[in-house]
Amino acid sequence: MTLKLNDVTVSRGVGPVISNVTLEVTPGEVTTVVGPNGAGKTSLLESLSGVIGISGGSIELDGVDISKMSRRRRSHAGLAHVQQGRMIFPSLTVKENLQLTASTKADMDGALALFPELEKRLDSATVLLSGGEQQMVVLARAFAAKPKYLLLDEMSLGLAPVVFLRLIPIIEQIAKTGVGVLLVEQFAHLALKIASDSLVITSGHVSYHGPADALLKDPDLLKKAYLG
Amino acid sequence: MLRVRVASQEKWWLPLAIGGIAIVVGILIAVIVPADSLFRPTTILVASISLMGLGVVTGTAGMIALCQLSFAAVGAWIVEWLSVNDVWGNIFGNFSFVVYMLIAGVGTAVIGVIVGLPALRLRGVNLAVITLGIAAAFDLTLQKTSFPALVGGKHIARPFGLGSDFGGDRGIFIFAVVVTAAVAIGVTYLQHSRWGSSWKSVAFSERSTASAGTSVQFAKLTAFGVSAFLGGIAGALFDSQITQANYSSFSPLQSLGMYVLSAVVGSHLIDMALLGGILFVVIPWILQLLKVPLEWSTVVFGVLGIQALTTGSNLGTDIRNAFRKRRGKALVPVEVGIASSEAVAAVQIPRGTGKVLLEVTGLTVAFGAVKALTDVNISVEEGTILGLIGPNGAGKSTFVDALTGFLPQHGGTVTLDGISLDKLAPNRIARVGLRRTYQQDRVPPTLRVGAYVRFVSRGQSSPTEIAEILQFFACPVASTPLSLVDVGTRRLIEVAASIAAKPKVLLLDEPAAGLSHEEHIAFGDRLRQVPSRFGVTILLIEHDLDLVRSVCSSLTVLNFGEVLATGSQESVLSNPDVLKAYMGETELL
Amino acid sequence: MWLNNVVAGLTPGATYAIVGVLLTLMSQLTRVVNFAQVAVGMFGGYISLTLVTKMHLPIFVGVIGGILVAALLSALLGWIIATWLAEASTSARSAVTVAALLFLISLAFILFGYRNQPFPTLVAGPMFTLPGGAVVSKVTVLVIGLAIVITVGSWAFLKFTAFGVKLRAVSDRQMAAELLGINVKMLNVSVWSITGAIAGLTVALVGPTASNDYVTVSTLVIPGAAAALVGAFKRMDLALVGGLAIGAIQGLFSGFPNLLIVRDWVPIIFIILFLLWNQRKEVWDVAR
Repeated sequence: MTLKLNDVTVSRGVGPVISNVTLEVTPGEVTTVVGPNGAGKTSLLESLSGVIGISGGSIELDGVDISKMSRRRRSHAGLAHVQQGRMIFPSLTVKENLQLTASTKADMDGALALFPELEKRLDSATVLLSGGEQQMVVLARAFAAKPKYLLLDEMSLGLAPVVFLRLIPIIEQIAKTGVGVLLVEQFAHLALKIASDSLVITSGHVSYHGPADALLKDPDLLKKAYLG
Repeated sequence: MLRVRVASQEKWWLPLAIGGIAIVVGILIAVIVPADSLFRPTTILVASISLMGLGVVTGTAGMIALCQLSFAAVGAWIVEWLSVNDVWGNIFGNFSFVVYMLIAGVGTAVIGVIVGLPALRLRGVNLAVITLGIAAAFDLTLQKTSFPALVGGKHIARPFGLGSDFGGDRGIFIFAVVVTAAVAIGVTYLQHSRWGSSWKSVAFSERSTASAGTSVQFAKLTAFGVSAFLGGIAGALFDSQITQANYSSFSPLQSLGMYVLSAVVGSHLIDMALLGGILFVVIPWILQLLKVPLEWSTVVFGVLGIQALTTGSNLGTDIRNAFRKRRGKALVPVEVGIASSEAVAAVQIPRGTGKVLLEVTGLTVAFGAVKALTDVNISVEEGTILGLIGPNGAGKSTFVDALTGFLPQHGGTVTLDGISLDKLAPNRIARVGLRRTYQQDRVPPTLRVGAYVRFVSRGQSSPTEIAEILQFFACPVASTPLSLVDVGTRRLIEVAASIAAKPKVLLLDEPAAGLSHEEHIAFGDRLRQVPSRFGVTILLIEHDLDLVRSVCSSLTVLNFGEVLATGSQESVLSNPDVLKAYMGETELL
Repeated sequence: MWLNNVVAGLTPGATYAIVGVLLTLMSQLTRVVNFAQVAVGMFGGYISLTLVTKMHLPIFVGVIGGILVAALLSALLGWIIATWLAEASTSARSAVTVAALLFLISLAFILFGYRNQPFPTLVAGPMFTLPGGAVVSKVTVLVIGLAIVITVGSWAFLKFTAFGVKLRAVSDRQMAAELLGINVKMLNVSVWSITGAIAGLTVALVGPTASNDYVTVSTLVIPGAAAALVGAFKRMDLALVGGLAIGAIQGLFSGFPNLLIVRDWVPIIFIILFLLWNQRKEVWDVAR
């Protein structure tokens, strides 16, 4: 029971932006994909959730090939994709944002338990929240959908490091509930700290695949994978 | 049929030749076909001219204008007024109608420019609604004021003293053939001129049009003006045929029909405008012969229109593709790899002349309460390549936007070779000598490589120089349509075109994104030579550190909108703060 | 005298307002400026006319039948656009409705003939008289009421129902909504059918008062779009006020026979100026 990418290639325009990536996301664990910006990490996530199509390989969710499914069906199959750039629905209140995925009161409470500070913001328009709070709304919304696999794209983008630090343990906590988390980050160290398996992508190719702590223990390995 | 494509400079006479042949064919038709059957063929030509106008404003420049027949009505009105009052009949004699028609065309063009003014701020469907509203108001005015001939109970005199009998119809048909051929030749030359390139460019991206040194306002207003001119000529020609116009021929609904027909056939192509004219006349005529209600023709147009507009295709392009396939000349994507082209001799990282060319002092940009850039100071030395790096969201693209005039509210000053750029519009900045490229694909796919480079370079490079620059960057040959070029190579062409414009400083915003790693290196080899070979100083924004390392004379790092470090490659890349910015705050763990 | 003219302008004004509000809803929720909005309703109107006069059904059955046909037609058009132009620009999506407008008008000519047929009257007669002698008819009150009900109703529906919240989410960020498993296409098509039904109802009410030839009524979409432009296709309240204002201004000008031509141009020029001011910062086509 895993989310499996077999030899996935993604093309945009004419050339491939991601070539031959093989990866397995296990429930209950954090898998991280790191690499410099422009490496193709976002395209990888987008091909998983169906924002863009794949041009080679296959994607399996718990044994079912989802690579031809619509975005909606992939979501119903148990994928939640938190896109880059805090994809709140600005005209909706915090509560309404959460209601989109929380079908029961319990789901709603579960999501709010992650971020108690959202409680007093429930009725404000999300557009008026700070960047950190918006990111919390998006994360809580994805969690309330009770996904099997959670795809997180560059949560740190445009956030102060302190705010991002606040989110890291939450991601760990979500994984502990049995969700398979695929975390894409440009800021490698924080991501590697909570991940078990890790992948470094540069210029669309996998330049490292192995345990996350190996990268953490050997900074030269990471620096080499990043900066060539 | 006027199927004109000016592929190279040597064939400049081709449109003239085809136009001439068309006139001969037209005269033959006029002689062979009985005179009493020539009324409809004349209407075909009138409709074609009107469709060519829509082909310019909508098909080429991408602005939805739903008032084409209002322009025709203006043309008809002016020509009638001049004819009824016979203003210069004693001066121009039999040629007075031709003079009146030209005046009608110019007068309508003026109206067209006025109608086009809202297009400078309103786009897409807002503009469509406005032009339709103008068509509706104009229709009501015409209903009340009517046309000069109708009001006076007269008919206007046909050109060259032609009579209102069938013999006169024959003369009018020949006249219409000549006018249509002249108009088609003119439109063809315009489409291949700077104006035509600017229309295609503005349809694809206003920002990149301005960055190419062309005024967006000028491009839009000329498109409206030319389109209205053609509408006015069509209206005047129509009046010479029927000699007394009525408002019902120019209703807004018919303007909508013209628009749909134009979209169905793809009337930016001359032959397709002619086909559109034929469909406009022949379908109702066949239905009439079959004794089927005329409205079925509009039903047919409606269905064709829904089909064409939902699939985004048009007959013109489809027919051309099918034709090419049958001749075994199907258009296939062009593959040129800069990596696979011949190796370039190793060249040192450029060293500058010591003179500061571009000076940015205290640059500050705020979006509301958020400061995107705070007090940024950067100076670029002549003859060097300065690398600007930093993590996502550091403000690099905002920096480029501020320098090139797209954020006029910025604080601080920017001077290029002693000239202050702070008050200049983007197209002026480009002309003064500060050019930029875009991170996104902003190369209009409707142009060919050569036309695009000529458009961007604004005559700064000779044809031989352009060919040399294209070859230098391993770009496809000038006659290649850009639609067949992949996105990565399009951006190389954008770089080549910007260099051909010979700016003092060129800002490259992630030019190598979309290229493979090998191509990155090959691109870097070329880029290193640019300052010495073409005399262009470069500011390079890039995230591939391999490329940055291989070309940049010095580096500046932006983080959270502020300059984090600046100096030589070694000093910047070994700076621990820079590593932190790139890979996360290690010490927080 | 002038008050009478203004009041007389309110019935068409309220019609513009309804059309404007519908167009605003469509534009916000489905990214389309629907040029066929009124034509669809008018088609429904002619269907009810046929049901009542040719098939001798009771008026209310006929009207409901017409409304259903309008809803279905609108849904079909919406389905075509949602299927083939799911991610296309607003302009490309709207252009299709121009072709649909032509199609519906000509089809109506074929099916229902040229002659203007009187619509069955649902309401008639004066409602009350204003001090100064201006008579306000029942239809005027009813149509203004309908305009307000549609505006407030849509607002409340979007604000307070789960369905409405989903619609707003799709309107904010279609892609993000799809990734949450929301059925964007189904939502789109239901908005199309609902606005089609409301257009059908409006034509049934206003039809008897307006000149009911097909083209005139279908081209009510032009002043309707003008009203929507007042709210920049974003705000229903401004579209409502805009529609009433355009009607009132036209009514006012009809009292001055010398200014008849000016009257036709006042709304469009007013709107162009308003939009130019409103969009003065939109110097460029894209944000970056």
